[in-house]
Amino acid sequence: MVTRAFRNYPFVPERHAAQLPALVRGVDRQRHSVAIVGGGIAGFACALALASYGVRSVVLEADDTVCVGSRAICISRRSMEILARCGALKAFLAKGLPWTGGRSFFRNAEVLHFSMPHDGNQRLPPMMNLQQYYIEKFLLEAAQESGLVEVRWQSVVGAIEEAADGVRVNVDTPLGSYGLSADWLVGCDGARSVVREAAGLKLQGTSYEGKYVIVDLALRSERATERLAWFDPPTNPGSTILMHRQPEDIWRIDYQLRDGEDSEAAVRPENVIPRVESHLRMIGERDDWAPIWISLYKANALTLESYRKRRLLLAGDAAHLVPIFGVRGANSGFEDADNLAWKLALVIAGVAGEELLDSYSAERVYAARENLRQSTKSTEFMSPPSFGFELMRTAVLGLAVEHDFLRPLINPRQTQPVSYLDSSLNGSSVGEFSAGPVPGSVAQECPLTLFASDGVHESHVTDLLGPRFTALYFTQSAGVSRELGHLEQALRASGIPFRLVMLAREHPANGSAGCAWDRTGRLFPMYGAAPGTIYLLRPDGHVLARWQRGTAEGVRNAIAHTLHASGSHSKESAQ
Amino acid sequence: MIESDLDALYGELCRTLSEVGEAHAPLLLARFALLAIEQIGDPERVRALLASARHCADG
Repeated sequence: MVTRAFRNYPFVPERHAAQLPALVRGVDRQRHSVAIVGGGIAGFACALALASYGVRSVVLEADDTVCVGSRAICISRRSMEILARCGALKAFLAKGLPWTGGRSFFRNAEVLHFSMPHDGNQRLPPMMNLQQYYIEKFLLEAAQESGLVEVRWQSVVGAIEEAADGVRVNVDTPLGSYGLSADWLVGCDGARSVVREAAGLKLQGTSYEGKYVIVDLALRSERATERLAWFDPPTNPGSTILMHRQPEDIWRIDYQLRDGEDSEAAVRPENVIPRVESHLRMIGERDDWAPIWISLYKANALTLESYRKRRLLLAGDAAHLVPIFGVRGANSGFEDADNLAWKLALVIAGVAGEELLDSYSAERVYAARENLRQSTKSTEFMSPPSFGFELMRTAVLGLAVEHDFLRPLINPRQTQPVSYLDSSLNGSSVGEFSAGPVPGSVAQECPLTLFASDGVHESHVTDLLGPRFTALYFTQSAGVSRELGHLEQALRASGIPFRLVMLAREHPANGSAGCAWDRTGRLFPMYGAAPGTIYLLRPDGHVLARWQRGTAEGVRNAIAHTLHASGSHSKESAQ
Repeated sequence: MIESDLDALYGELCRTLSEVGEAHAPLLLARFALLAIEQIGDPERVRALLASARHCADG
């Protein structure tokens, strides 16, 4: 019998002490603007994103460390863009392993070699593998560096009471309990969220029966970073096996349990190790390996119908549980945080009405449903829920070797940014556009040359975004009308973070700081733009409105509409 | 037919087979094959498809 000694992850989490704030009659003396329950990916991402708008928050985390064990490992390009806007991407890029595609095998034959959308216009890879403990550590470090995030460890949130102007929660720590008041409470406390329970909201959807064993292991291998899948492999007949490389010679292997297999027995090392061993030998890995972590996974496809109840907001796994296939779990947590932060910041600043937060719920519930639709298809293929799916999958896999048209059915449908095409916030698309992102979708990436006060840089469209509304103004040679020139100042004077960026078709004259040049000539056609075109982008990089010939008034009205639009209605204007 | 059509039809076929159950699925597929033969309309094409279905990777 094969036995293997367990090893630890090459990561030792820092343990954080509990702390009590200064109390007045058992209540935190400080009233908080935003309290975030849960210091995981969604919670830290929320805190970090809020900090980028200058909003303070306190994070209440039940544990004393960042997570341990086998959790999320894939970060999408969209999540990387969000991290970049928060100024936190550098550490992720330094440690993570970028990848662009993968391969699937049926028995001995390769039946799919897929690539995620990637071309010379991109600055970031479509996907990066990084263990969740690193993701959380880097988020935590960036949040702390901002000086606006206070993390309280070993702090378990108990009773939650809503008040007219905020929320009062009870916090239990090993040093004692206390009350805490906040204007807003964001529940990022995962699948068993207490905030969700306090809001009286229920997850709805489907739970799948198929079970996967997830094994993290240490192995030195030259194999590339890509997503690998084996259906019915000769060494594990009837099983489906997935494999991913993680940094520091850690590998993840997932395999599906056979129908009727006892899950308690299935995760025992004596049953896991031989299966992993035979798989590694089949694919030609001869080196020693060691198991690190074994867990069991069952797919859930669930979401709340609303992520807001007055002063309570839900994000990440507390709001939705998405099957792992297609890596939409942690990545949708980043997108929730990105969508929520700018809206909450503008409401707190008094610039936007509270109803802007309803659009957070409407847009992210819509995104969750889109994510569930895609990941459900992946799950039905990876883990067939009934006889029909099983039979048809076998037919597809057998035919796909020679019949290319069936291969898309095997594609794991990796996460893509969701477009909020029906969002109530969307303004209009005015004039004829032959190309370019429509209102509600995310800005398209393109290289450009940026003329900044500190010199000339090779850059990209997504580098131009920041914690503010951004107007991309397409010009022939970096000229701008007087009204547009004054717009930035005027909007900022009313508390609206905004920046106008000129995108010049011709090399702009020296000294045009803050202007970018379409060096490759690809940007104008990609956006269907001519001199005078404006794309107005939300702080999260989604297009708010666009005009073939834009004006300062148009931009001002579109922003005003956003700040006071109700999330419960669809937009009236046509695209 | 575009990719999303294939996707949707695949799902509908899977669900239909599950609904009629394992015992009745072969008959359903046989009926479907006969109906498809009529639509294909070309005897040589039908023979080639039958051969492909028979000799695919899993035999």
